[in-house]
Amino acid sequence: MAEMTLPAGTVPPAPSPMLTPPAGPLPERDGLLRLYREMLLIRQFEEIVNELYLQGKIPSTLHLYIGQEAVAAGVCGALQPADWVLSTHRPHGHALAKGVSPGGIMAELFGKATGTCKAKGGSMHVGDFTLGMFPAIAIVGGNLPLAAGAGYASKILKDGKVTAVFFGEGAVNEGAWHEGVNACAIWDLPVVLVCENNLYAASTPVSQAIKTATVAERAHGYGIPGLTIDGNDVLAVYQATREAAERARRGAGPTLIECLTYRQCGHSRSDPRTYRAKEEEAAWKLRDPIDTYGAWLRQTQPGAEAALAAIQTEVTATIQAAIEFAETSPLPDPASIYEDVFKE
Amino acid sequence: MPFEKPFDIVMPPLSQTSDTLILTAWLKKVGDPVIKGEALFEVETDKAVLTVEAPASGILQALLVEPGSEVAIKSTIGTIATTVGEAVPANGHAAPAAPPTRILASPRARGLAEKEGVPLAAIGQATGAGGLIVERDVRAYLAARRTAPPPPLVTGKTAAPPATPVARRMAEHAGLDLASVPAATPGAVIKRADVAAALQQQQTAEAAPATNMPPASASRRVPLSPTRLTIARRLQHNQQTAVPVTLTRDTDATELVALRERLLADLAGQDVRPTYTDFLVSIVARCLPRHPHFNATFDGEALEVFEAVHLGLAVDTERGLLVPVLRDVAHLGLTALAQARTALVKRTIAGTVTPSELAGGTFTLTNLGAQGVDAFTPLLNPPQVAILGIGRIRPVALPVGGVLAARQAMCLSLTFDHRAVDGAPAARLLSDIAGLIEHPERVWL
Amino acid sequence: MTKMSIAEALRAAIRSEMRRDARVVCLGEDIGIPGGFGGAFTVTLGLSDEFGHERILDTPISEAAIAGMAIGAAACGLRPIADVQYGDFLFNMMDQLANQAAKLRYMSGGTLSVPMVMRAPIGATGRGSQHAQSLEAFFTHVPGLKVVAPSTAYDAKGLLTAAIRDDNPVLVFEHKLLYGSKGARTEKGALSPVGEVPEEDYIVPIGQGIVRRAGKDLTIVANLLMVYRALAAADKLAEQGIEAEVIDPRTLVPLDKALILESVRKTGRLLIVEEDNLTNGWGAEIAALMADEAFAWLDAPIKRLAAPDVPPPFAPVLEQNYVPSEAKIIATALAMC
Repeated sequence: MAEMTLPAGTVPPAPSPMLTPPAGPLPERDGLLRLYREMLLIRQFEEIVNELYLQGKIPSTLHLYIGQEAVAAGVCGALQPADWVLSTHRPHGHALAKGVSPGGIMAELFGKATGTCKAKGGSMHVGDFTLGMFPAIAIVGGNLPLAAGAGYASKILKDGKVTAVFFGEGAVNEGAWHEGVNACAIWDLPVVLVCENNLYAASTPVSQAIKTATVAERAHGYGIPGLTIDGNDVLAVYQATREAAERARRGAGPTLIECLTYRQCGHSRSDPRTYRAKEEEAAWKLRDPIDTYGAWLRQTQPGAEAALAAIQTEVTATIQAAIEFAETSPLPDPASIYEDVFKE
Repeated sequence: MPFEKPFDIVMPPLSQTSDTLILTAWLKKVGDPVIKGEALFEVETDKAVLTVEAPASGILQALLVEPGSEVAIKSTIGTIATTVGEAVPANGHAAPAAPPTRILASPRARGLAEKEGVPLAAIGQATGAGGLIVERDVRAYLAARRTAPPPPLVTGKTAAPPATPVARRMAEHAGLDLASVPAATPGAVIKRADVAAALQQQQTAEAAPATNMPPASASRRVPLSPTRLTIARRLQHNQQTAVPVTLTRDTDATELVALRERLLADLAGQDVRPTYTDFLVSIVARCLPRHPHFNATFDGEALEVFEAVHLGLAVDTERGLLVPVLRDVAHLGLTALAQARTALVKRTIAGTVTPSELAGGTFTLTNLGAQGVDAFTPLLNPPQVAILGIGRIRPVALPVGGVLAARQAMCLSLTFDHRAVDGAPAARLLSDIAGLIEHPERVWL
Repeated sequence: MTKMSIAEALRAAIRSEMRRDARVVCLGEDIGIPGGFGGAFTVTLGLSDEFGHERILDTPISEAAIAGMAIGAAACGLRPIADVQYGDFLFNMMDQLANQAAKLRYMSGGTLSVPMVMRAPIGATGRGSQHAQSLEAFFTHVPGLKVVAPSTAYDAKGLLTAAIRDDNPVLVFEHKLLYGSKGARTEKGALSPVGEVPEEDYIVPIGQGIVRRAGKDLTIVANLLMVYRALAAADKLAEQGIEAEVIDPRTLVPLDKALILESVRKTGRLLIVEEDNLTNGWGAEIAALMADEAFAWLDAPIKRLAAPDVPPPFAPVLEQNYVPSEAKIIATALAMC
């Protein structure tokens, strides 16, 4: 990679001494290809949703996940289907990786009755509780106490589930984050704390918000393990999550995994990103998680080219079907605003 | 400026069949104070002319629609400037010439009063906070009405008739009630001779043998209806407080008769036929502003003088005498007046007239001409200061230009409350009215 | 039937439900510490001996975590009863209650539910502004939360049981002076009403108010401590020939509107007595509802007697001027009748 001057405080893409090297077993070939498929699905779903937004088909702003796909895919790939997932205002990637129907997500974005939240949630609240994903929580840090609750329930019910909670580096200064993490720590709750450190909380660089070089070192303050990994390396994410989930499942408590990554888009659709240097963006683009992983697969997996092409075809068809589903779905009945406030 | 927030007056959806209605008349003009609930404008649907009440209290700020216009329902036709937060004080003291007093009553009391047919104005006490008539006040009224015995007939203002001490002792010895002893002349002091005469009469009656008594004739007792009792009591009360005096004046109505006939010919084929009452309403409405103390009410201490003329018309109905009010008659043309009067009287007779239409009069007209009456002594309609009785139109021979000619005469009887106004001003009012009857062309002056 | 204080009745409800359903758990500060006081007002005293320290979970001073854990755990299969030590601390968990608990089901399109209870002691008790507020109104205004307030031992056990069994978030407001806590936790100036409580299973349905005293001249709606002051005032008013009907709504959301409406139609006069602040208090909602639906039956303007719009003061003489007194209730009622 070429040498370049990056703005002060920017965390260099990689390699970096603070990163924990990946360790632990990798998935089998099917699993490896699966990870690629999830990332590709997320990337192309978000790109298309961006276009649809520009065409006026989506009645709200969007917080796109472009560039961070390795985190969602790696974490969800390492969990078991029944495990709980809690997400944030940027949830599309997490939802797709958790197996939430792309049609359901698309319909929700379109505001249709068949959306994952019956058009009551919108982009920031997609999820599917029947698949283990809470409706995403748009209050930064607000999902940490909920995650502690999910972990506590697993402990009491002895159901062997693990809860993975996603949050950005901006959340770690919220009081609720502190309370939630502390709760997970003191009771050894089966929770995996996944910090997606994309270096900017909206427009505020992380160095302005915390005094330490990493988020992971805060873990020591709670008496739990914390590690910083290359969030654009899907296998590193997978391995770290596998290990943390095992720890949690055997009752050893939570782990804080800080994934260094970069969103290639703005914070939301109304963000022109003038607070980031173009050089920085370019540097991170060179470390695009899908490009680098695809290259690795072609190098290490026989028949990868054909397999990747097949995946592309399938992903294209899936997204197309999702759009058609959303477009043909009905709008919600205005009277439905009264439904689902209480369980009768 | 206390009045700030404009309140829209909206054409209400009064028709089942049409999206538009015709505004036939505004009953108030810009600048008039209005009270929520009082009649504000009239609307013609395909079925009837309806009166619509003001939706808010305040000052009538703007009238956006001319009478006669066809207006879409729910559109704004005017505005009322309302005070923000405070209701316009309803006791009539806030603005000069404010409409008649609003009665403060709780919703519960109003509901009960309406159900029992009690006009709120008849309720004597208001024991709720802030002078509110509350339920118990209505109930007290109803209870009194049911249980009170008819008050004894008393001719004078004092309960005990004035009598000389001798007469008093005589009556006492004889066990005779002084109230039953007629004085030599009504209202005079009862003297010994009067008591002696009364005793004589009593003994004569007692001494007569039973066989000379005529056989008891068949009779039946007809108790007064509650409404009638109410009327009776009110009249009694009024007679005892007001000082009514009646002036009569005969007028030569020949010109008026001719004018009416010509107008009727012009209006032939149309629904509307102005009656003499309509003409008199029109004439009186033009005269009263020149005699403002007669377009007024009197509460015993002060006159409430009104700018607008709201004429009550005495109407005989099955339920008794009712006095519906034609509002703001000074501004109505004759045909509009006739139509309004027709509709109002019809509703009154049918029993569909609303309480608000029976209230708020500033002067009353009563026409007994159809019953062949000439001069009479109309009773005041309290708290109004005056009432005009109209007699029949009858053929007379009057000198005109020195020669007897066949003319038409009509007698006017004006009763007024002498506490509030004197005879001379009353005579002047009569003169003014008579003048317009005899020279109707002067209406144009 | 057993005579119980409200604290005992609440404890009985929790114990009974925890025995009946293994998913019921309690979270709060100092609720199960061995040798501790069973929560600030002794309600959970002794429960950890029977149920252990995982189902009676002592938390750090961490209100957002207490609430969030209750919510997350409720969604994931438990039926948590969480509590704050003083109602005023509910403000520390506002996001969790108003943005999460109240909205999760709705945002999920009905695919999850939050069967949790949050208990909160309220009322002015000489501890100063931040330990004294009555804050029902903050929560009656949040769609998605139910709000109850039991004022007798019978209602305490019945309502709390109903709340635990309800599949939705329920806030249970209890009054510090009504608990009847004993020993070292005795409240000065407490009323501590004691009542007969059935030992067997029963509930007081959420959304059902009760007429505490029948009357024909005036309807008084009051909750918690104010119920007792209203009843005392009603006795004095009766001596003056005024028969007041005292209604305890017991649930504020969903409100037993029909009960209050029937009463106001009968009496024509409504006085609401509440310990929360006047402006936008829970009484304002009832006043507006009745002005709307009972308009034609009203014989007097609707009145609310509440704490003034100031923070709760400390000194006893000030606090007595803050919390509506029996004398003020009588005076207001007399002026209305």
